[in-house]
Amino acid sequence: MSAWSVWAMATPEPPHGATLGGALEVVALGCIGVAVLGLLLVEFVFKSRMARSTYRWTLLLGLFVLPGVALLGTTGHMFESMKTVEACQSCHVMNPFVGDMHDPRSATLAARHYRSGAIPDKQCYACHTGYGIFGTVEAKRDGLRHWLLYVTDTWKEPITYKGTYPNANCLACHATAPIFTRVDSHKALGTQLANDEMSCFTCHGLPHPARPTRASTRVTASQ
Amino acid sequence: MHLTRRELLHYFGATAATGLLGPGCIGWTREEAIPVDSWHKSVCRFCGSGCETRVGLRAGKVVKVEGLQEGWNRGRLCIKGLLNREILYVSDRAHYPMVRKNGQLERVSWDEALDAAAAGFREAMAQGGPDAVAFYGSGQLFTQESYTANKLFKGGLGTNNVDGNPRLCMASAAFGYKSVFGADEPSGCYDDIEHATLFFVIGANMAECHPVVWERVRDRLRTEPQARVIVVDPRRTPTARDATLHLQIRPGTDVALLNAMAYELLRTGLVDPAFINDFVTFRRGTADSPPLTLEDFRAFLEDYAPEKVANLCGLSSAEIREAARLFGISQAALSFWTMGLNQQTHGVAANRMMMALHLLTGQIGRPGTGPFSLTGQTNAGGGVRDTGSLAHALPAGRVVTKAHDRQDMERLWGLPEGRISPNPGLSAVPLFEAMREGRVRAALVMATNPARSLPNADRYRVGMEKAFLVVSDSIFPTDTARYADVFLPAAMWAEKEGVLSQSERRYHLVEKLVEPPGEARSDLDILVALGERLGHGALLKARTPEAVWDEWRRVSAGTTYDFSGMTYARLKALPGLTWPCPTEQHPGTCRRYVPGEDPLAKKEGRIDFYARPDGRAVVYLSEQGPFRESLTSDYPMTLTTGRRLEHWHTATLTGRIAQLKGIDIDYLEIHPGDAAVMGVKEGELVQVTSARGTVRLKALPSMRVRPGVVFALMHSMEHLVNAATSDYLDPTSAQPEYKLAAVRVERVKEGT
Repeated sequence: MSAWSVWAMATPEPPHGATLGGALEVVALGCIGVAVLGLLLVEFVFKSRMARSTYRWTLLLGLFVLPGVALLGTTGHMFESMKTVEACQSCHVMNPFVGDMHDPRSATLAARHYRSGAIPDKQCYACHTGYGIFGTVEAKRDGLRHWLLYVTDTWKEPITYKGTYPNANCLACHATAPIFTRVDSHKALGTQLANDEMSCFTCHGLPHPARPTRASTRVTASQ
Repeated sequence: MHLTRRELLHYFGATAATGLLGPGCIGWTREEAIPVDSWHKSVCRFCGSGCETRVGLRAGKVVKVEGLQEGWNRGRLCIKGLLNREILYVSDRAHYPMVRKNGQLERVSWDEALDAAAAGFREAMAQGGPDAVAFYGSGQLFTQESYTANKLFKGGLGTNNVDGNPRLCMASAAFGYKSVFGADEPSGCYDDIEHATLFFVIGANMAECHPVVWERVRDRLRTEPQARVIVVDPRRTPTARDATLHLQIRPGTDVALLNAMAYELLRTGLVDPAFINDFVTFRRGTADSPPLTLEDFRAFLEDYAPEKVANLCGLSSAEIREAARLFGISQAALSFWTMGLNQQTHGVAANRMMMALHLLTGQIGRPGTGPFSLTGQTNAGGGVRDTGSLAHALPAGRVVTKAHDRQDMERLWGLPEGRISPNPGLSAVPLFEAMREGRVRAALVMATNPARSLPNADRYRVGMEKAFLVVSDSIFPTDTARYADVFLPAAMWAEKEGVLSQSERRYHLVEKLVEPPGEARSDLDILVALGERLGHGALLKARTPEAVWDEWRRVSAGTTYDFSGMTYARLKALPGLTWPCPTEQHPGTCRRYVPGEDPLAKKEGRIDFYARPDGRAVVYLSEQGPFRESLTSDYPMTLTTGRRLEHWHTATLTGRIAQLKGIDIDYLEIHPGDAAVMGVKEGELVQVTSARGTVRLKALPSMRVRPGVVFALMHSMEHLVNAATSDYLDPTSAQPEYKLAAVRVERVKEGT
């Protein structure tokens, strides 16, 4: 059995093939490995045989450049892996929402989209992030805020979506679909929908279980 | 200032952390698209679904309306619900009272307008007695308003000429329930949707007319793949698109279809013999006729074997058998219907047969079962049916023809014995006919537009012109207001306070949130002021919405309705309560007649039809009967009418909403084959002519309708569709036959 076979068996296969997060993770790990190994070799094996200038350049590479690339890789990996549903669910306050999405008997928009396979992965991120760079920045800011509220145990029940949900997140997929464009109500309310003055959810149902039907997201001692 | 490199890095770090953790992160929230100062619980102004809302106010105006997550509608609204915020601010809101002088309506003070109204009523009564005046109300008035009008006219003025537009939409259902179960209103509730495995939708385009209820049905279909839907409708409506089986029936043949289904259920044994034996009786005609047997019913149905009625219904016998089979094998069958069954001359018979299918199969009283008629207006059930604001009725199920009921109301209203007339008053269409003939000389019309909504409307406009008409409405002008001698501007929806009830018998409180425009007043204030001037101020002691509600609760106590436990405080706190609700601790009743659920059902066993003297519901032997209007070579096609999602009724409100002005409402759906024969293309003008009148509309060739059937919306503001509709009445309910008129359709040549 080759070393690659052992490595492949030890490493769980990613569910949907190669991902950007996975690639960045490999890059980061590779850089760290190369940097550590290189530094050890340079310092203890090759130092006496190297020119002084080469030694300095090698140190610069091992101590700053490769760790820099590794930092970028791990940051990118974190950015990417935080988009997964599992990352959102790692705070248990999201259990009622994720649980409902996976519930085959649920009629919420999240569950229906999940069942239909319309959004194959990163379902939370797909609907909760605005499009473009500002959408990503907002999502990261939201994520950090949620994390801070969670670790400081200062969130308020029931959890509510702050502000107005941007219809653009729905329309990004639906706006050009004939099933959307042929509906006269959509034409009539075009301006209001574009300005978020009316919400898609009002007619099409709640994305998650209604507040009165959700379990508390705060874990009590008995739990 | 001297900084080391290390200190500089510290400052950078601290600044970044402060930015992230402070206002930049924890304090940051996404902006509201429409800022709101305060939220308030309310109810949608439109159809009988009764969607619960929360209303956002800012600077004294309604700026946002959303569905209430705590409500039965779980946060959902349709486009009309969303546009509740717009209707208060549409153009043409009525601002001040007017009196007709020299043929023109002129602005006057409230005192002058009310004095003129009272003088007109006094003069009419002086000339023709109490029955020379009438009240024509609406399912859009609050319960307190309909109740007070009923009390003023029946108890004060001494006439039973109290009717309203609910006669046009749900009278057949009301008479059906009363004659089958002994009490009006559906027995189940919306929660049954989550338990049903078969939805039998007949004569209802729920996806457009009760869209939020239909979405709840679709939620059930989404989560229960075994659930089935049968839709019976002459049109391929959006509702029919969700159907497992769509029976595109010939208009007006519902009784034959339902009889054929009953025949098939009995033939195949898919009935519940124990339920029939214990809880059902068979009769013909009226509830007090001699009882018949199941064998009599079987023999009667011999003429309705699927093969015998298939041609009449325009269906195949296999389709009818399949519908019966799906109904019979269903674990829980829930039927919905509305105007399609009610608005025909066989409306009561069709209602009775729909209920009969549930009784024969025992599909009632269990979760997910029951015959459920939907209401078309916000408060036709609570305001009009429950308060008895119809020509034959008195509050809480009482009727004017029963001495005991009259005495009951005379005692409760503090009237001398004999004050309430024992003669039923004039129902909607005969009332306007009486105006035409000069028998009714003065009428108060509130919150409705009969000049546009009555069938054969041109005929009855003559009566409105002739009579002394006092019109109270939120909009001016309406078609009816043009005939007014006195016009009174009314507040609407969140500009006044009152209670609404919807299809599942749920009562909601609508609180006053904003001031009405100009000098507009609530209809309750108008009725009290008019009552004072007519000398009946002492009768109307309850003058605030809360006081009237408390009086109404007392009137209902001990009846099969019983709202005693629905205090104002509970209505303010809760998203509605369903009746019966006899005590303040009672949570409200979902399924009536079920021992253990309905506090009025005292017997043990599966069900207790306590409103019937013998405790048994009635299955009627109901004949299909002949068509009142046959197709002839002069009138070879059938006109049927209906609604679409974006507009409501005569579009008095929705037609004025800017967003909806681009929605087409002036078209005639015609089968492409018929259109081709006539040489009519899409968008060309066609003239629809019945024996009564004509209307011109744009042709819309569509596979939605059957060959030989044309469909028009009732909303058109530009064209009067009701000029052509039929004013034939159901002999029991006096509901007109909007759904079936023999017509001729012709292409209009240019320049004619």
